[in-house]
Amino acid sequence: MTPPLSASGLDLEPAPSGVRRRHSARWVAGVVLVVGAALVTLLATRPPQAATEVDTPLLGQRAPAIAGTTVTGASFDLSTLRGRWVVVNFFASWCPPCQQEQPDLVAFDYAHRTPGDTALVGVVFDDAASSARAFMRSTGAAWPAVVDPDGQIALQYGVRGPPETFIVAPDGTVVAHFDGPMTGSGLDYWLARAQRGTP
Amino acid sequence: MIARRLPDAGRWALWVVLLVVVGVALGVGASRPGPPLTAVQRAQSIDAQVRCPSCEDISVADSSASTAQAIRQLVVARVRAGQSDQQIDAFLVSRYGPGILLRPPDTGVTAWVWVLPPVAVAAAVAGLASALWRRRGAAAPAVSEDDRALVDRALAQRAAAAGAGTGDTPAGPRGAGSVVAP
Repeated sequence: MTPPLSASGLDLEPAPSGVRRRHSARWVAGVVLVVGAALVTLLATRPPQAATEVDTPLLGQRAPAIAGTTVTGASFDLSTLRGRWVVVNFFASWCPPCQQEQPDLVAFDYAHRTPGDTALVGVVFDDAASSARAFMRSTGAAWPAVVDPDGQIALQYGVRGPPETFIVAPDGTVVAHFDGPMTGSGLDYWLARAQRGTP
Repeated sequence: MIARRLPDAGRWALWVVLLVVVGVALGVGASRPGPPLTAVQRAQSIDAQVRCPSCEDISVADSSASTAQAIRQLVVARVRAGQSDQQIDAFLVSRYGPGILLRPPDTGVTAWVWVLPPVAVAAAVAGLASALWRRRGAAAPAVSEDDRALVDRALAQRAAAAGAGTGDTPAGPRGAGSVVAP
């Protein structure tokens, strides 16, 4: 039998099982605390969610029509942009990823203002026109945003939830589809790729 | 029981007739067209087979999401325009992909989902019938001459005891075993 040990040299009885259990509980609690803190740190410092290119049956197909009224009351028809590259962005003012991508879209739009350059078109997804208009105005967005009160434009594009973005070629076919918040550099990259004809 | 009184061939014929009647009744019942559906009823039946695009595995009929409402509106409009269920399904697939349909398509690999259950049921019925047939057709166990003699002796003893009119029953377990004990 192992003799009992003590720092003072006195023989002590082994710790009762209740004390050992309390020590184990402290260890477990400590480990859980450290793991929890690590997870919180990881989630708080990870880079913001980015858009991913996702498949859609519309790829290579004629882009469905987008015609109607914009949030400012002007009329709009996508077919008038035939011959230009078009970025169609489905968004809502209540959607955090849309708020995240908005500064990038504003910068992208500003960089492509020359006549004949890529056009940006918004489609309001499940949102009031007034909320969308206020959102556009507060972020300095100047591109047309078409209201879609009954969701039929979103349905024609197979949109599941905002933000979703489509790139439409000058001949009117859909060449790319993205789910999630876009970045300006990402848009430029995918546009350049589409313009080169790289699949 | 009528079936017990019938000879073997009669019993089998009865089962076959029963099976045929049930099969024909099921076939007629399944293929008989019901009353014509109204446009709204047709739209509802289509909605129940379409997955809500922005939800987790619930049908458009059961969802209040904006995407589900848009699909319900589209389905009603297309039904009223005279489109068939297949045309409406095809349009939705052309926008959202085949995953939009809750009912698996009856082409390609998923066709097995429709084919396998009836095949499995038919195989099970055939296997059961075959097992029953084999059990009935199995030859009776061979009886030796010694066994026959033993039974004859036992029967003779029983007849003799009955003829004597004693009415005594040997102690011990009841049944033939106690009668044939030497």
